Amino acid sequence: MSSPVLDIRGLSISYQTDTGSLQALRDVNLVVEEGRIIGIVGESGCGKSTLISAIIRLLAPNAQIGQGAVNFKGGDLLGLSPEQMRSLRGDEISMVFQDPMTSLNPVLTIGRQMSDVQHRSTASRAEKRARSVMMLEQVGIPDPESQLQRYPHHLSGGMRQRVAIAMALMAEPSLLIADEPTTALDATLEVQIIHRLKELQREFGCSILFISHHLGVIAELCDEVVVMYAGEVVEAGSLRDVFMNPKHPYTQKLLECDPARIAQPTRELPVIEGSLPNLVNLPNGCIFRERCSNAVSRCGAERPLLSGDGHQAACHLPDTSP
Amino acid sequence: MSTLLSVRDLRVRYPVRKGFVDVVHGVSLDINRGETTAIVGESGSGKTTLAMALCGLAPVFGGEVDFDGVQLKRDRRNRLNPDRKRVALMFQDPVGSLNPRMTIRKALAEPFRIHRVDARNPDREALRLLAMVGLGNDFADRYPHQLSGGQARRVGVARALALQPDILIADEPTAGLDVSIQGEVLNLLSRLQREMGVGILMITHNLNVVRHVADQMAIMYLGRFIEQGHSRQIFSQPRHPYTAALLSANPSPDPNAQPSQIELIGDVPSLLQRPSGCEFHTRCPRAQAQCRSSFPELTTGKENQQFNCFFPMGE
Repeated sequence: MSSPVLDIRGLSISYQTDTGSLQALRDVNLVVEEGRIIGIVGESGCGKSTLISAIIRLLAPNAQIGQGAVNFKGGDLLGLSPEQMRSLRGDEISMVFQDPMTSLNPVLTIGRQMSDVQHRSTASRAEKRARSVMMLEQVGIPDPESQLQRYPHHLSGGMRQRVAIAMALMAEPSLLIADEPTTALDATLEVQIIHRLKELQREFGCSILFISHHLGVIAELCDEVVVMYAGEVVEAGSLRDVFMNPKHPYTQKLLECDPARIAQPTRELPVIEGSLPNLVNLPNGCIFRERCSNAVSRCGAERPLLSGDGHQAACHLPDTSP
Repeated sequence: MSTLLSVRDLRVRYPVRKGFVDVVHGVSLDINRGETTAIVGESGSGKTTLAMALCGLAPVFGGEVDFDGVQLKRDRRNRLNPDRKRVALMFQDPVGSLNPRMTIRKALAEPFRIHRVDARNPDREALRLLAMVGLGNDFADRYPHQLSGGQARRVGVARALALQPDILIADEPTAGLDVSIQGEVLNLLSRLQREMGVGILMITHNLNVVRHVADQMAIMYLGRFIEQGHSRQIFSQPRHPYTAALLSANPSPDPNAQPSQIELIGDVPSLLQRPSGCEFHTRCPRAQAQCRSSFPELTTGKENQQFNCFFPMGE
C-alpha cells in the first residue's frame, strides 16, 4: 500500500484559559490513505474543529501543541515555517467551510476570486479564466462563462457552495478538508453536493477529510469513519464496521440517538444522559465512563487505548455490541 | 382541536432596485392548540420571513391573519400586531438572541418587565423557568458566552415560554445541535407542549425531526406552500414531486440502504425571475408542456392533503 497522505500521530493540543489548561485533543491518531474519504463524527466540543485547525495550522493563538506529529506526504507539518505552510494551503491542502457566504468575498466577482486563487500559477489571465470556467463546469454550474461576472449574493446557497468546492479543487490538492459543507442546504441540494464531491474525488484522486454531525451524509459519502468524543478518538474503522457493528458505547448511543434511524415516529427521542466532562480537570480513566451504562471499576482507573485491527475502539469492555 | 392562528393568503413583498420581490407569495395555514406544525424548505424559500411576518417583525403586503378568532390589524408600517405575550418567538441563533451583557437571570426576568406582567418576584420566576427547562440554579448568574449551544437553546425555550404564550414560533430550534442534544431540546418542547397546550410553528429543514415531532407540515418553495397536510400522510404518500424528491433525498445513516433518490437537476430559480406556470417545472422530472404555461391550482386529496401539481405522484 502507498504511504498515507495524512498521518496524525499522538497529537495533543491544549488551550490556555483563565481557569487552566483545557485539554482539547489528547493523543489523537488519524490516517488518511490516498484517494479515501474519511468522515469525522462527534458532538460539538469533541475537538473536530481543533483537529482540522491543527492540520491547516490555523489554531487560535492560545492553543499549545503538546506533542505528536502531523505528517503530510511524509513531512511533519508542525515543523514548517509559516511561509512554507502558506505555500501548502490552497495548493496541496484546501478547505471547504460550512458557510459559503462568509468564505467568499462579497465585494468581488466570482471570476476575480477564482483567478485570485490561482495566484501561484504563471498562466496568463485568459488561461486562468478558461480554467475557472472549466472548474465551474466540473462542479455542475450552468452557464459558467456568465457566472464569472456575478457576485456571491447573486447565487443560491447550493451554487455558492459549489463555487467554493470548485475553488478548493482548482489547484488539484492532495487533501480536501470539508467542514460541514452541506449543513446550510436542503436535502435535495445536500445530495447533489455529496454526489458531486464523490465524482470529483474519483476524477482528481484526492483524499477527503469530511466533518459532519449528520450521520446520513457520512454514510452516503465516506469510506471510513473516525468517531471523536471529548478530544479523543474513541472508535475508527470502515463505514460499514462502525455503523453496522459499533464497538464503543458512545458510538452505539450516538447512532441510537439519530432520529433518522428510528422508524416509528416518537415524541420521546433517545438522548445520551449526562454531559461532556470538564476538559480542564480531566477525569481519570475512560473519558466516557460517567455517561456509560456498562462501566466497570477498571474504567475509572485506567484510560483505554485504541485497539483492534482495522476496526478500532478505545474501550475496556469486551465486545458490547448488540 | 381548536384553531388558534389562521393565516389566509399572506404575502410579504420587498422593494428591490428593479421592482419588487415576493418573498412570501400567498401562504395559508392553520395552527391548532397543542399541535406542532412544521414548515420545511431550503434556505431562501421564505420560511423565516413568514415567521417574522406572523410576529410583526416583517411588513405584510397582503392577506389576513386571525388570532384566536380576531383578525389582526396592521400598524402604520404594515406590520401585524399580535399580542406578543401570547405569540412567542424563538430565534435561530440561540446565543446571538441573548444579550451578552445580561445574566441569564436578568434575561429570563425581562419578558415580565417588558410586558409589565405582575411577577412579584422576578428572581423566583427566573429560577422556576430554569428548572422548567432542566437547568440548575447555578445557571442564573452565568452570561450567554458561558453556555453551550444546547444550554443556550434551553434558555431560549424558557424565555419564549415565560409568559405562557398560546403560540410558540420556533425558527430552526435544533440547527447546529448534535443528535443527542437535539433530542433533549425536542423532548423538552414536546413535554412543555403537553403541559401548557401551546401550539408550535416549527421552521426547519431537518426532515428527520419533522417526521417525529410534527402533526402538520407544509413544504415551502419560492415563497409558496407547494404541499401541506398531516405529516404522517405526507411522509407516507407525498403528492408533489418536490416533496417526493425532498423525502427521497434525505440521506439514510444505514450503509445498506438502497439509494432510491430522485435527483433533481438544476438549481433553485431566483425570486427575481420566477419561472412561468408551475414554478417547480425547471427542476421537475415530471414536467410537461402544460406545467410551463399555466399555474396548477390547489388540489385537495384524501385526509385534506393539499398540493399544487398537474401530474401528482401516485397517479
